[in-house]
Amino acid sequence: MSSLVLSAWSAISPYGVGNAPLRNGLAEGRDAVAALDRDLHEVPFQQAALVPDFTAARYVGKKGTRTMDRVTALAVTAVGNLVESVAEELAARPEQTALVLGTGSGSVQSIMDFTKDSLSGERPYHVEPARFPNTVMNRAAGQSAIWHRIKGPNTTVAGGSLTGLLALSYALRLHRGGHCARVLCGAAEEFSAQRAWLEWHGRADEERETPLGEGAAVFLIEPAEDAAAAGRTALARVGATRFRAYRGTDGPREALTACVRSALDTAGVEPGAIRFVAPLGGGGKLAAEEEQAVIDALPGVHPEWIRMRERIGDTSAAATALQLAAVLATAGEQGLGPGEAALVTGVERDGQVGCAVFTGG
Amino acid sequence: MVYEEEQRPRRVVITGLGAVTSIGLGAPTFLAGLKSGRSGVKPITAFDTTGFAHANACEVTDFVPGEWIHHVDPEELGRATQFSVAAANMAVADAGLTAQDLRERRVLVSVGTTDAESRDLDTLVGTQLEEGPERLSPGLARRAQAGRLSSGIVRELGLVDVEALTIPTACAAGNYAIGSGFDAIRHGEVEAALCGGADAVCRKTFTGFYRLGTIAPEVCQPFDVDRKGILTGEGAGVLLLESLESALARGARIYAEVLGYGLNCDAHHPVAPDQDSLARCMEIAHRNAGVAQEDIDFISAHGTGTRANDVTEAGAIRQVFDTPPPTVSIKSMIGHSMGAASALAAAACALAITEGFIPPTVNHRETDPECGLDCVPNEARPAVLNVVQNNALAFAGNNAVLILGRMKEAA
Repeated sequence: MSSLVLSAWSAISPYGVGNAPLRNGLAEGRDAVAALDRDLHEVPFQQAALVPDFTAARYVGKKGTRTMDRVTALAVTAVGNLVESVAEELAARPEQTALVLGTGSGSVQSIMDFTKDSLSGERPYHVEPARFPNTVMNRAAGQSAIWHRIKGPNTTVAGGSLTGLLALSYALRLHRGGHCARVLCGAAEEFSAQRAWLEWHGRADEERETPLGEGAAVFLIEPAEDAAAAGRTALARVGATRFRAYRGTDGPREALTACVRSALDTAGVEPGAIRFVAPLGGGGKLAAEEEQAVIDALPGVHPEWIRMRERIGDTSAAATALQLAAVLATAGEQGLGPGEAALVTGVERDGQVGCAVFTGG
Repeated sequence: MVYEEEQRPRRVVITGLGAVTSIGLGAPTFLAGLKSGRSGVKPITAFDTTGFAHANACEVTDFVPGEWIHHVDPEELGRATQFSVAAANMAVADAGLTAQDLRERRVLVSVGTTDAESRDLDTLVGTQLEEGPERLSPGLARRAQAGRLSSGIVRELGLVDVEALTIPTACAAGNYAIGSGFDAIRHGEVEAALCGGADAVCRKTFTGFYRLGTIAPEVCQPFDVDRKGILTGEGAGVLLLESLESALARGARIYAEVLGYGLNCDAHHPVAPDQDSLARCMEIAHRNAGVAQEDIDFISAHGTGTRANDVTEAGAIRQVFDTPPPTVSIKSMIGHSMGAASALAAAACALAITEGFIPPTVNHRETDPECGLDCVPNEARPAVLNVVQNNALAFAGNNAVLILGRMKEAA
């Protein structure tokens, strides 16, 4: 059984940069979705949940950020706030810390802008070479490592709405395989016009109006004894992650119920211990199936539901990571208490479900 | 099957190979191409190359999706996903398994990529420029998702108890994906892993490398004094991994054992590799695999054919090895297939071990003295291979080195 714990976290959400804005926003029950300035954003959505006043220059600095795209800036900033917790370890042995970061398809804005320059310029190679790395999907993780001198394994993970959970699962496997002493793990997603158009066209009708959100959340994952030795509070123990695939209309519900039961079993957690549930959510049928699946797996239990999508929109690849951040934000400074557990779930419209179970202490 | 947590780690073996390459579809054809030193280079057909002074690549030109994909509508899949799904089907069949067999097992699917479906994103940009963003194709928008590269395999095989992981760690992604599959089997987390990498030639990436001045005008000549750069390529390599016990129990053919892998990050420069850091990655891989540098019988290099890569990589090899073993680049034959590259190279290593030969570095005239390696020029070489090393480097200094070994009886 895993003895890995989450001992620090760093979030950027539509409530603002940092953990405090997320904590306060959730505590106040505030809705971070706002009307979009249509002069600035030529997109088919009326509303979105943007990180207020976020730019690379403002949060990463003016130096070296001229060509830094938004998702990279979000990742570099979120990782930067997290590495403060492990500054000593990172300075002493930079190769022992891994970084595992989930993204969608990197920055579709960067990728498509680059092709646009090739197609519309005077010559097809009239593109800006310094922007080429932005079009490669490991850019955000790679730049975060360069910026903060993180020399351990550096992995980018993608998997739609389940990205954050998949990154966590990959990180646990990486650590268990002996490839690092600790992992900084999370996910980031940017708001961009290009992402908005792709979402608009790619979504089913019932989901079409859900506003887009953006943000990032990263977590320090390390053995409980290392956290204790360094004086970091174990905010939650990672109990288990679990995934399944589904087909057909009743598929998501049954698959996720099986998934949650299995994760609880692996983590040795009784359903009644679940205090928080953070589902992916949303307004459509999948979201209803997701909640029903959790209810099926937790009969007679009445957890506190943390429904992030209603508050911060569809944060796509960052969603499940921000759900976990919301659990920690809600649990308070000491994290999950003894005997308490939390469940984060997701349903990907492409046919997969996933969940993670966390316990107190 | 539920494994006991405290059991000792399992040995992990490769029992199935799937390959979609510019020199052949399927492991037997790929093998024949590697042995004979076939070259997949030809003029690009993926996009209009007007305005580029030269535009060769290693495209897969004989791939008919419907011949390799049986359950999912190929139209719902981008080209890279079509490749990954086809290669997965090949690997399952090659392992003597059926989709039903895998549905009864807990499986990890992990697929690496550089560009995922950027080819579709290119197409969408074209539509957007001509007709406006309101006119984008919903089908293309839906399938242009990186996660599809692994979830497409899940859908095609109808897998149930499965984790679908896509690893877009660029040009080292194949080794990353195989590494995660190795760890998952080794610790009893899953019973089978389908892992590898896939990419499709696209305007975006060709243009980027062209602009950097790193596209070779005609052919790719790794380690040659006259080398002129990379050729972009495409395809997919998927390996079926399982535990040794599982393979023995069902009497499966074993290509090779995965001995271990190492990862690290230069954390130094966005595109230029770092020799010391790459050398350290090789040492990490050797340590994790329980081998010494003198055990390595040949190295499948990242070997892109650029000045920066080849000199840096050769330097790192000389730093680690007292006497560098033969070091080849199959990119001379299949180009740089990006996220598929190290997966296909791993498949080539497995075939090399099984068939007793070292694949050649073709298009070779004169070895660059700065590289100073035996690159097995132009013709495959018979060899008894016990331990082989597969290097992979990516933008951002993401290094991944995989070590495979000949299957030996349990000690």
